[in-house]
Amino acid sequence: MKRKILDFPLQHTRLVFVGLAVLTLGLGSAIPFIRIDTDPENMLSEEDPARVFHNETKEEFALHDLIVVGIVNETEPQGVFNPESLGRIHELNERVKSIDGVIARDVLGPSTMDNIEQAGPGTIRFEWLMEQPPKAPEEALAIKEAALRLPMLRGTVVSDDGKSIALYVPIESKDQSHRISEEIQAMVDGFGTTTDQFYITGLPVAEDTFGVEMFKEMAISAPLAALVILLLMWWFFRSFTLVLSPMIVAVTTVTITMGALIASGFTVHIMSSMIPIFLMPIAVVDSVHMLSEFVDIYPRHGDRKAAIKEVVKDLFSPMLYTSLTSAAGFLSLMLTPIPPVRVFGAFVALGIGLAFVLTILFIPAYVSALPEKRLVKLLSSKRDAHEGGLLGRVVEAAGAKSLRYAKPILVVTAVVIAISGYGISQININDNPVRWFKPSHRIRVADEVLNRELAGTYMAYLVLKQDADPQGEIMAAGDTALKDAPEALRTRWDEVRAEAVAASKEGDTTVADALIEATSNLAFDTTGEESDRWQKVQAALEEAQTQSKTFQKPEHLAYMDRLQKEAESLPLVGKTSSITNVVKTVYRELISGEERDYRIPDTNEGVAQTLLQFQSSHRPNDLWHLVRPDYREATVWFQLKSGDNQDMTAVKNEIDAFLAENPPPEGLRAEWAGLTYLNVIWQDEMVGGMLESLMGAFVMVFIMMMVLFRSPIYGVLSMVPLTITIVLTYGLIGLVGKDYDMPVAVLSSLTLGLSVDFAIHFLERSRVIQAETGNWRETMRLMFQEPGRAITRNAIVIAIGFLPLLAAPLVPYNTVGFLMAAIMAVSSIVTVMLLPAIMINIQNWLSPKRERAPQSAERSSAPLATNKEQTT
Amino acid sequence: MKPIMKTWLAALAAGFVLSVSSVPAGAEDLKDAREIVDRTNVAQYYAGKDGRALIRMKIVDGKGRSQRRQFSVLRRDLKDGGDQNYLVVFDQPADVRNTTFLVKKHAGKDDDRWLYLPGLDLVKRIAASDERTSFVGTHFFYEDISGRHPAEDNHQLLETTDTEYVVKSTPKSTTGVEFAHYTLWINKKTFLPSKIEYVNSQGKVYRRIETAQVQTIQGLPTITRMKVSDLESGGYTLSDISSVQYDLGIPDDIFVETSLRNPPQKWLR
Repeated sequence: MKRKILDFPLQHTRLVFVGLAVLTLGLGSAIPFIRIDTDPENMLSEEDPARVFHNETKEEFALHDLIVVGIVNETEPQGVFNPESLGRIHELNERVKSIDGVIARDVLGPSTMDNIEQAGPGTIRFEWLMEQPPKAPEEALAIKEAALRLPMLRGTVVSDDGKSIALYVPIESKDQSHRISEEIQAMVDGFGTTTDQFYITGLPVAEDTFGVEMFKEMAISAPLAALVILLLMWWFFRSFTLVLSPMIVAVTTVTITMGALIASGFTVHIMSSMIPIFLMPIAVVDSVHMLSEFVDIYPRHGDRKAAIKEVVKDLFSPMLYTSLTSAAGFLSLMLTPIPPVRVFGAFVALGIGLAFVLTILFIPAYVSALPEKRLVKLLSSKRDAHEGGLLGRVVEAAGAKSLRYAKPILVVTAVVIAISGYGISQININDNPVRWFKPSHRIRVADEVLNRELAGTYMAYLVLKQDADPQGEIMAAGDTALKDAPEALRTRWDEVRAEAVAASKEGDTTVADALIEATSNLAFDTTGEESDRWQKVQAALEEAQTQSKTFQKPEHLAYMDRLQKEAESLPLVGKTSSITNVVKTVYRELISGEERDYRIPDTNEGVAQTLLQFQSSHRPNDLWHLVRPDYREATVWFQLKSGDNQDMTAVKNEIDAFLAENPPPEGLRAEWAGLTYLNVIWQDEMVGGMLESLMGAFVMVFIMMMVLFRSPIYGVLSMVPLTITIVLTYGLIGLVGKDYDMPVAVLSSLTLGLSVDFAIHFLERSRVIQAETGNWRETMRLMFQEPGRAITRNAIVIAIGFLPLLAAPLVPYNTVGFLMAAIMAVSSIVTVMLLPAIMINIQNWLSPKRERAPQSAERSSAPLATNKEQTT
Repeated sequence: MKPIMKTWLAALAAGFVLSVSSVPAGAEDLKDAREIVDRTNVAQYYAGKDGRALIRMKIVDGKGRSQRRQFSVLRRDLKDGGDQNYLVVFDQPADVRNTTFLVKKHAGKDDDRWLYLPGLDLVKRIAASDERTSFVGTHFFYEDISGRHPAEDNHQLLETTDTEYVVKSTPKSTTGVEFAHYTLWINKKTFLPSKIEYVNSQGKVYRRIETAQVQTIQGLPTITRMKVSDLESGGYTLSDISSVQYDLGIPDDIFVETSLRNPPQKWLR
């Protein structure tokens, strides 16, 4: 079977080439149909309860994702409150409304919001805050004073210090926010050079802009990495013809995998955009092993077909194992509850399988198709590579040292692990899409400035809701009012009820409204006692309806007020807003305009009538962003100064504690929504999910290793490099204080897959060589020749190949680049230095069974005793 | 017999007013847009010398959630097309019952408006501002209820069909208005608008008022059902006008501040 596979590419060279070309072009042709999805919300499945609730809340309260445009002026003494700046702001405020995809009626800004104030004694006035830009400086200041008096605007639209202004631009869908922000930017650019600084930010802009830049990065970073890898291999193997083959394998693997992903109808999410970057090294690794060995063997044979056959025969098993284990590492991502991560895991695994098949089929076919002339040249020029050159000498020296200093190496390892363990305990789990940009990026800058100037650009919503169905209570009130009424009336009432329920189902009315209308008509159309009865029923229904409006009750509003005071005492919360602020503001202006009247009216009716006044403004519907029209559900808007998940979590914990200590009245329930909050949810699932999948993969790989090597000891040994690599890398992350975020989480599976590669190659080859030599020392010496070089070459190629990612403007790409290099370095060093040190120390356990059998009785002391004999 | 007689007389009087002002009496179409709009203004807002109506409004938002407003209106005209007085007393929802508005509408200058909130026992004057604020949370604007003065716009007769005049009205001043212009479809016989569409600066129709039902009451064609739609949010408000009576002889002295706290029950029902 294996033989057949080995011979196939040599006998059907053309078939292999044509097949590969057809597959690549066929699936590659799907790539132009790519659909990018950068919405982190999709990190949660559609049915995730938190996401469902978030979307229900957005729908219920007509909350839209917001682009924040901040205008700061540090030159003028009054900030932006001068006629020129306000003129520009007014123009921008008006013009953003006409951008396609902007919800014009909900744009928040000085020109599109109402001022409510006293206009002389006993007089109240509603008017646009800035219908026209001011002409005189005094008018500009008047606008500032008016805005600062309005709690809904202060800190949100106007900064507390009265120097800056922000516009909040609600958009229909997040995936348009980059385009819309560009259009706003173009409007701003149209102002030319002014003393005003304009900043555009907001989570949707960050997320969508990331997608656009990510797309660019995919077109730059991955090919750049490929180029660097190619150059490095060329440097190692000195034959462009030869090193072209791993590149072909890598590029076709990536093309076919991405093509398959796109053709299967999946969107390319932030995660899957990294597939090329992950697949590239994995695809190259196997080929580099093959070429390394080929270059070493070929001069001996002088026959390319025979040489490549021997190479494939030698490497088939380790390559199969490494591919299986790497694939297992990524397949374990399917265990996570996060859809894009599952897609990512599945397709990387698929790509790994593909890379293996391609390596086994294509490389031999490619080599055999090369004219022998070319390879003869290789013979002479490859001498350096064959003997290993500088690299070879370094590896050999390192190997010798690792044997001589086996014990100190083990001690150092133990210390490093201990330190790393401490590092892991320091790991800070945190993420924030805005931080996916470098600090110098304009979105990061805008984020920093606006969160300093304003109350906060990150929105989270605490939804307070009354779960019980009010219609039942209202109908019951009618029932009670008719308890001792004559049969005829009660029959009529039953009909009215049925009609009301039917009418409410058709829309346009509520059960309560329909009942009240019907009983009012009945009272009007009947006479005497019957009319009185119906009037009483109507009164009872009305009372029940008034009572059912939870967030019109002073005590409930007072509770929200307390909650908001608690929230605003937290340093991370810039500001909160709710219906309470609206009620208090309008009440203040109705009564006196003085601060002492900034309070909640004493009765339900007082609140209702205050709100009726608010609804007589230009923007009555703003109320429905804060409370549902039946007043059963209300939101408290949290403006946070930071979108870091850990900060959102801290706020949530504080508020949850407050809710627990101060239970809300009458069975109110509190729940969180908002993009900032949603990011916390998927992060939690991600961290938990990743840990689970890493554990799962670890166990799976361990079992596979034991089965493949048919030895528990080899199984354990093969897990050593990856374990140490993972511990070390994550320890390092903890120690340097880098946040454990999405890319970091995903890299754990890559670590697992790649580190075990080297161990498998190393162990498999050692075992084969040891079987030939029968001596571990000699085996190790040989191991530091070609196999050691192959591993080191691989590590260097990939580590350096991914350094270009450090230059990318997106932080997750930097992280991947850095960690990739670290993983390669650590796992190759551990494999080449630590494994021999361990193996020498436990060589008796590693020897064939019959020799090991007698010693198994004194297992506990044997290794130590053997150690002494061996090391002295 | 007597009330019928009175109604008949009122109808006759009203018809007289109409036929006097519309000289060609349907025989010939009017050509002057301003004249058409003036007559529409009178037909819609100045029917009879005074009037009473019960208005029920259903506010339905883009998500199909509804709210209700119910109030009685008393009106007395001082001059057709000119000054008039309104008293609006709320009945529903119960928590705003007896909230009262008093409006003294003036042609050519800002209206005088007062407000009484029984829940706060508060009488307040409402300062003049633009009149395109929401009428108590409905999709109607204050101006839709009280009438926009024809002199505020330039009018252009776009088309005369068999049954309607189509007039485009463009505001003389853009201050205080959110539309670029609006178009009225006016019934040639009744001079009541069947439809009004508001167009924004991007040329998009974003708001529409439709007449759903017209009844002749005491000889006067009266809109008894209308709908205003916010085409951007998908919300609308339906207004049903019932118990309409004209020329009750409502005295002018009930349109005073003291009526806010003690609405004249005699005239309300």
